[in-house]
Amino acid sequence: MTSETGFDPELYKRFPTSGPRPRGELEELERVWRRPTGWRIITVVNNNYIGTFYVAASFLFFLLAGILALVMRVQLAAPLADILPQETYNQFFTMHGTIMMFLFAVPAVEALGIMLLPQMLSARDLPFPRLSAFAFWAYLVGGLAFFCSLFVGLAPNGGWFMYPPLTSIAYSPGINTDFWLLGIGFIEISAIAGAIEIVVGVLRTRAPGMTLDKMPIFAWAMLVFGVMIIIAFPAVILGTLLLELERAFNWPFFDPTRGGDPVLWQHLFWFFGHPEVYIIFLPAAGLVSMMVATVAKTELVGYRLVVLALLSTGFISFGVWAHHMFATGMPKISAGFFSAASMAVSVPAGIQVFSWIATLAVGKVKMTTPALFLIGTLIIFTMGGLTGVMVAMVPFDWQVHDTYFIVAHLHYVLIGGMVFPMFAAFYYWTPMMSARPLSEKLGKWVFGLMFTGMHVTFLPMHLTGFMGMPRRVYTYLPDRGWEVTNLISTVGAFILASGILLFCIDLMRNFRFAATGNAGNTYGGGTLEWLPTELYSTRSIPYVKSRQPLWDDPNLSKDVEEGRYFLPNSATGNRETIITSPLRAEPQYLQIMPGPSIWPVLAAVFTAGLFLLLTVQAYSASLVSGVLAILCVLRWLWETDRPVKEPSVDIGAGINVPTYVTGTSTHGWWAMVVLMIVIGMIFLMAVFSYLYLYGRSTELWIDPPAFTWLAGIVALNGAGGAFAVWSRAALRRGNGRKRVAIWLIILSSLLVTIPVVMDYQSWQAAGLRAEMSGQGATVNAIVALQACLAFIGLLMAAFVAARGARGYIAVPKSNIIDLPAIFLVFTAALGMLGAAIVRLFPGAL
Amino acid sequence: MRTWAILLGGMIVWTVHFFALYIIGSIFLSTLLARWLVAGVTLFCIAADVRLLFWIRARRDHLFDGWAASVGLILAGLSLVAVVWQALPILL
Repeated sequence: MTSETGFDPELYKRFPTSGPRPRGELEELERVWRRPTGWRIITVVNNNYIGTFYVAASFLFFLLAGILALVMRVQLAAPLADILPQETYNQFFTMHGTIMMFLFAVPAVEALGIMLLPQMLSARDLPFPRLSAFAFWAYLVGGLAFFCSLFVGLAPNGGWFMYPPLTSIAYSPGINTDFWLLGIGFIEISAIAGAIEIVVGVLRTRAPGMTLDKMPIFAWAMLVFGVMIIIAFPAVILGTLLLELERAFNWPFFDPTRGGDPVLWQHLFWFFGHPEVYIIFLPAAGLVSMMVATVAKTELVGYRLVVLALLSTGFISFGVWAHHMFATGMPKISAGFFSAASMAVSVPAGIQVFSWIATLAVGKVKMTTPALFLIGTLIIFTMGGLTGVMVAMVPFDWQVHDTYFIVAHLHYVLIGGMVFPMFAAFYYWTPMMSARPLSEKLGKWVFGLMFTGMHVTFLPMHLTGFMGMPRRVYTYLPDRGWEVTNLISTVGAFILASGILLFCIDLMRNFRFAATGNAGNTYGGGTLEWLPTELYSTRSIPYVKSRQPLWDDPNLSKDVEEGRYFLPNSATGNRETIITSPLRAEPQYLQIMPGPSIWPVLAAVFTAGLFLLLTVQAYSASLVSGVLAILCVLRWLWETDRPVKEPSVDIGAGINVPTYVTGTSTHGWWAMVVLMIVIGMIFLMAVFSYLYLYGRSTELWIDPPAFTWLAGIVALNGAGGAFAVWSRAALRRGNGRKRVAIWLIILSSLLVTIPVVMDYQSWQAAGLRAEMSGQGATVNAIVALQACLAFIGLLMAAFVAARGARGYIAVPKSNIIDLPAIFLVFTAALGMLGAAIVRLFPGAL
Repeated sequence: MRTWAILLGGMIVWTVHFFALYIIGSIFLSTLLARWLVAGVTLFCIAADVRLLFWIRARRDHLFDGWAASVGLILAGLSLVAVVWQALPILL
């Protein structure tokens, strides 16, 4: 066997170890990983708690959005009904879609990732537990505040995709739209935080020996999910910012009278919006692949093909966004290949469906509740997929665009592709988190009601759509032929809701949260999450030799529980996990993990405050909240990256690994790279917006400032980047150069800030104003983005200086110097690129 | 990085092809020049996929991870089909 990192694979043969374990090590593990008690429970960061809180919160939002749907169905049960006034109906359907997509679907799968992945990968926790806590609290606080806007009549009312010009200040003057723009932008930040955690977690915290081909399919799915979030979500973050800038400051990104274009919003939104469907579906498909193997008591058929399907879906899903825009009059050539890509994406989805069918066919299926929900998934998702291929055809799409046919299609896909797998997962994995499993008897009723209700609700909607009923109408006239199908749909909605109500009753009767002493492996799963776990995850971290380790090694649970594998203790007396290499999962170093803290919670609350106060135009309070949020984040980071006194420790069987490393192999470096990709995508989308508007109309465009300005900007940014690189080299020369390294970081941050001012000034001098044209708006947006990065660079420099003053910088290598240095180089590069692009196009043409 | 490049090479070629088509379609609309450009880009991407297929096939026994090589081969093949499929509506 070859090695990825120089680790000798022969060392694995030392496991499982024999002989008694030292006394007291289990007690120490329990002490180190214990949860806070009393009110301090809100400071908990253990993934079992945060994951469960997260799942519970997302389910709460599912219920709330479901209630809104029921009220809407009552309104539509008969023509000219008077249950909901038009304006309230608009708010209801907007909130229903928004909550289901942004506050239920994405957070729910992210929550399951946080809950299941550490156990599935046999890590003690994901690499940034405080980031998980921050993501959860930000989501909960922001989500609840967003939902409460309904009670004061300020909920968004422009549909879940908020198309301008309807949502521009001219047609939506209230703050309803601002609630959506700022609220969703904020919640997406939480989703990205979770995605960074998941990507780095899957790649770097797998149990030793868990090579890529032995990774659980759910981990593969979550890896693709995380990468997709990182690529897709920046588009909607940028889009919401641009629309908010237009509404607040009259910057005309989407106003065609001043060189903007409302279709730009559709591009930005759907570049996120269509991958979003797969962002929701892929993790659910990962769950299905895991469960289907267990219920059929056999290995998943075509593991390799399923991985292939996940990867190719991830790619192709970014090539289908414009199929939501066939009706906008796009060039035929574009419509052609977007249509082709939309059909092609059904191939990898089909591969997964056939893999599940084959697995069920070759195995011995016991009709448990998860099995029923899995079969329901197959039927419903396939039906939704077929109508998806239909609407991928441009002429057909023109006919049914914005009708109830689309409503039926999207609900079949989302309920079949996400909700049913989710309920299967609830039944399947509840025994891992609860002292009692959920009831099989009630579960079958839940399935029956939900399956029946789903079809009774949405199957007739295809016909309603064919008969021409448009979406988003609060009522309709009699004698249009829509009465019967609408009534049937309303009855179906209540059948579906009764199934969900029964599930809630089952939860109340049987769910008893138990991070320790859970009900265990009820359905006989073969993957690592079914090892006995406590708050520290598994007692020791096994060496993984197959995809279903528990099936292949009957002694594994016992050996793990007796501490006969990796890290059977707390090697340094801290929370810790093994960081392994990304491909072959070879042990590289021991990560010291932070414990419970109030700072992520407060940071989340104040960040939510920043956005919400901004929405209600309380600008001073918003600023204060923003400053407090930054202080909380800095305080939380203050305790991190402190080397321990043992430079290396034994992680079992005499294998020693370092406790502090720097450079490209660290989890911090990986997270920084992922963050830079997120920022890079925002930048790329901003440049796309600029070029897009340039392609639309250059009537109001002016010549760029003199090229001497560009030379100055490039020179200063270049110097800033060089100083950042130099700071790392200076630190490596020892303690005597630590101060030099810190000063170089400070200098670098100043050098990348000055060009932002120069850039802004030069355009002002050239006569460009943000509100005068699409050029003005996009150029200023790119400069504003650069200003934000420079501000973060200054904050980092201040943090480095403060840590240096207190002696909290390791020598000769420190992540506290390395990571800001990388960020500053990145900021300098974007500064040069941004300034050059807006000057060369059209300046050099 | 090499293993990731092998694993995802086919999909990267497909992505390049897709966005090239998007840019050509957006700038040159439905003109004859656009069709010729699409044909050129498609031939280039087909060549890249074929090259990738042969490259992985010739080295699959010596590569770092045989499993990644086999996934890479299938994805490169799939990319070849996707590139042709995607270009057909424009070229026909």
